[in-house]
Amino acid sequence: MVVSPQAQRMRSPDPAHSGDIDVAGAGMPIRQSSLWRDARRRYMRNKGAVVAGAFFLGLVAFCIFVPIFSPYDPDKVDFSQAYLSPSLAHPFGTDQFGRDLLTRVALGGRISIAIGFAATLAILVIGLTYGSISGFVGGWLDNAMMRFLDALYGLPYLPFAIITLAIVGTVNFWTMVIALSIASWFTSARIVRGQIITLKENDYVRAATAVGARWYRVLARHLVPNTLGVLIIAIFLELPGVILGEAFLSFIGLGINPPDASWGSMAQEGRQVYRTHTNVILIPSLAIAILVLSANFIADGLRDALDPRTKET
Amino acid sequence: MVGFIIRRLLWTIPVLLLVILMTFLMMRHIQGNPFRHSERAVSPEIQANLNRKFNLDKPWYVQYALYVKGVATFDLGPSLVLRNQSVNDIVKAHFPKSLELGFLAMVFAVVLGIPLGVIAALRPNSVFDYTAMFFSNVGFAVPSFLIATLLIYFFALKWGDVFGLPTSGWDTWQSKVLPVIALGLGPMAYFARLVRGTMLETLQQDYVRTAKAKGLRWRRVLTVHVLKNSLTPAVTAAGPLLGFLITGSFIIEYIFAIPGIGKYYITAVSARDYSVVMGLTVLLSVIVVLANMVVDILYGVLDPRTREART
Repeated sequence: MVVSPQAQRMRSPDPAHSGDIDVAGAGMPIRQSSLWRDARRRYMRNKGAVVAGAFFLGLVAFCIFVPIFSPYDPDKVDFSQAYLSPSLAHPFGTDQFGRDLLTRVALGGRISIAIGFAATLAILVIGLTYGSISGFVGGWLDNAMMRFLDALYGLPYLPFAIITLAIVGTVNFWTMVIALSIASWFTSARIVRGQIITLKENDYVRAATAVGARWYRVLARHLVPNTLGVLIIAIFLELPGVILGEAFLSFIGLGINPPDASWGSMAQEGRQVYRTHTNVILIPSLAIAILVLSANFIADGLRDALDPRTKET
Repeated sequence: MVGFIIRRLLWTIPVLLLVILMTFLMMRHIQGNPFRHSERAVSPEIQANLNRKFNLDKPWYVQYALYVKGVATFDLGPSLVLRNQSVNDIVKAHFPKSLELGFLAMVFAVVLGIPLGVIAALRPNSVFDYTAMFFSNVGFAVPSFLIATLLIYFFALKWGDVFGLPTSGWDTWQSKVLPVIALGLGPMAYFARLVRGTMLETLQQDYVRTAKAKGLRWRRVLTVHVLKNSLTPAVTAAGPLLGFLITGSFIIEYIFAIPGIGKYYITAVSARDYSVVMGLTVLLSVIVVLANMVVDILYGVLDPRTREART
């Protein structure tokens, strides 16, 4: 596993022996190598992941800063400026209400990315809770909980997301987060459970139990923290699906209400005029594509970096 | 073997009951049910009659049992909005089109995606490999509504005279080309990546080296040892792919105005025709559960090692 002590022991010189092996002293500090430093080194070696990381951060920065410095009011309606083609004043053109698309796409990105991260977080919290209970308790409960997961495995999330939105009746940030996470946490629960079960067999966990640590201490001190690596990978594994899910819901008209917009609802507006003004659908859709693509590459890089023993599945 | 199949078949029954129960309970909490909070001025007597007609006066577990009985006998109940239609009529009218779309998209994905992955794995790090993998990644990342819109824009409008493809509909074979490509591109990319991965792994196995070492022709090593063992995992991809196709069909049918299940689902939600929404959700879930069962059994047959874990 990610933070398994064996892995650390292999890399960091054991203080008890390092004195014998190293040229004793020589005044040189022993170069400590931590898991995170190793992980960063491995990540940096993966060029695709580094480029993807740069794109990802760039896109997030774009969404944060462009609306702050933009000279245009993103909600001001001016029909004389409607559907302008891309120009120096409006690099991405304007929409049906004459609003600057550059500013709008950055604002839409704020909502899409915020919903994406919030829903991903919800998915991971549910998955961590479910998976760690199942893996930690074990026995018949584990069996029953996994059978339940098997039953739900592969269910299409879109119908259940639509029903969820119909149940709560209104579409806003939080209902969107609930709708997107309600039928998407199965994979992360499975990953966490697998991780906990592997960890449970480790000597240091047994040692902790043997010296009398209570179960909640073992769980909180040893098991859950050591799933951090897979959880970080899981963030970037889940994010693309959630972002696309939000876009799909918005696209079929079940999205955030105007004047707020996400990339999906902007694409839906662009869909009405794609014959004449292709840029209106193209811009938000490409933003989604860049985000999803870079998240995929980041997930790959993180997997190599944090969990070198598992190969691509 | 027979025991494994029987166990797997029996296990499907509680799974189906559970999935139907979840859908059922969710639907009970939905807002604006036409019978519970009536929006029309309906007298209490008529309300009571309606409740009796649709069994809404009975406790929920009885309603659930009645519904399960209906599902088991292929009767999904009446539509709440369309007076003279049952959910079955709607399924009969719309489902074949979705099925055809999904099937053709799957064929498209398999026929193009698997060779793409195989060739990419045989020449790793070549120009072909990089190009194929680049497009696979892009195909998975670009939202299907953009792919569909661009396909329409270029092949139906801009170069429409050359290709003669219509922008929407589902009647002539020409009208089916663009939707099938739009829906199949994602699964194709998925297959290509999956097959490339398993193939590269298989090529490093000892038995492949042994086969080469004992002088077997490379072509025979490929077909007998490598392909067979690296395509087996592709069977397990059918489960997630089915979910992908269902989700995708909502969008693709919506864009191409194909009168299938996905498009009707959206219509039914906005019309608050909840018996239809529920019937279609149950139908889609049952399909997924049954497909998972078939995949498990098939995989158990192809790779006996997995039988224990998959009962």
